[in-house]
Amino acid sequence: MSKVCFEESTVELQSRESLLDGLLRSGHDIPFGCRAGVCHSCLVSLEDGQVPADAQKGLTAGQVSLGHVLSCQCFPNEPIKVRRLDTAGESVHGRVVSKTWLNEQVIQLKLDAALDYVPGQYVTLWKDDHLARSYSLASEPNQDEFLEFHIKVIEEGSFSQWVANTLEIGAELAIQGPLGKCIYTAQPEQPLLLSAVGTGLAPILGILKDALMKGHVGPIHVVIASKEMSGFYLMDELTQLSVEHGNLSVSFVSMGVGELEPSSIHLFHDDIYQFVQKKFSDLKGFRVFLCGAESFVKKMRKQCFLAGAGMGDISADVFLPFTTS
Amino acid sequence: MSVYEKIGGEAAVNAAVDIFYRKVLSDDRISEFFDTVDMETQHAKQKAFLTMAFGGPNNYSGKDMREAHKHMSLNEGHFNAVAECLVGTLNELSVPQEHIDEIVGIAVSVKDDVLNK
Repeated sequence: MSKVCFEESTVELQSRESLLDGLLRSGHDIPFGCRAGVCHSCLVSLEDGQVPADAQKGLTAGQVSLGHVLSCQCFPNEPIKVRRLDTAGESVHGRVVSKTWLNEQVIQLKLDAALDYVPGQYVTLWKDDHLARSYSLASEPNQDEFLEFHIKVIEEGSFSQWVANTLEIGAELAIQGPLGKCIYTAQPEQPLLLSAVGTGLAPILGILKDALMKGHVGPIHVVIASKEMSGFYLMDELTQLSVEHGNLSVSFVSMGVGELEPSSIHLFHDDIYQFVQKKFSDLKGFRVFLCGAESFVKKMRKQCFLAGAGMGDISADVFLPFTTS
Repeated sequence: MSVYEKIGGEAAVNAAVDIFYRKVLSDDRISEFFDTVDMETQHAKQKAFLTMAFGGPNNYSGKDMREAHKHMSLNEGHFNAVAECLVGTLNELSVPQEHIDEIVGIAVSVKDDVLNK
């Protein structure tokens, strides 16, 4: 018999009762499907304690490192603490350190906060009790002192307009999370494809820094797309990184018009999907990361999968537009 | 011994699922059904389907199968397309014909539920 702390309550598992069954018996609403560890509907997140290996069988390395557990396959031998997946835990306070425009639309926001996270994850930033938005982390905790976010300022966006016009250096806001499983896990020599559209560059940058930091030796291809040429940002920084790391190549792809200096930047006038198809016609064995708008991630994920990348080797972070409905 | 165990159990499912899903997505007769669904979710379902078709551990019932497919107006042609993708996958993995026959037999056993007959 094992004791389980689940969010705010405690559940005693009965003999030979799975974590899923115990939670359901106690009236908790946990989604589930096959009860055979296959469909992954009933995943929960382990916050404390150890679970037997069978409870994580078939999960990706990323999911295991984030403590995801198949509740239907989990028969714990010791007390554990779990929570529903995709529910952020407690929040921490962050203090605004800097606000910098990266291009005409994107603000780089740096916050000082004690937050444990893995690059590529996202958090929810709270202006007050009523207004919050989720943003991906662009920082890497070992080399970056502060949390970094890329905030696209939208004309009618309540949160982004507040960040752009009102939020002051030194002000505090609550940070809830982190969440997300689009994180660097790979064999050191595996070829990587990291592709982003718009501020999808934020998590891609975090994942890239993490890969370099962990000594990834295989080729790393970063491909950034933007509808307009003016949508690119951090071009010099990324190009500089590729100069410092021989295995890293960075390409910028846009259908928009315009010239860019210096010519050391690899800029291509092309459709992003055709560009990736031409340049990476065989993705067998690649580890792929895709971040940005849903339309981009969906189409690119299918394309990469059909080009030979294994489904378990494709990680994605989808940016969903905020809606009030 | 079930055919699932004979062909290598979970490892066989893992080897088959990407190949099978690629075939399904590339088959014009059925690919449209998969355009709007989340690929990760669908991939997990394909894995569950293959586990079931291989005679492995699963808790799917005829009712589940019926419920999941009844709004899709599927016909014989759709079912055959999926069956062909399945056989093609098994051939690619050099699964012996006798095992393929057994697996197809299991898939056909849920046909009426899938087609809501």
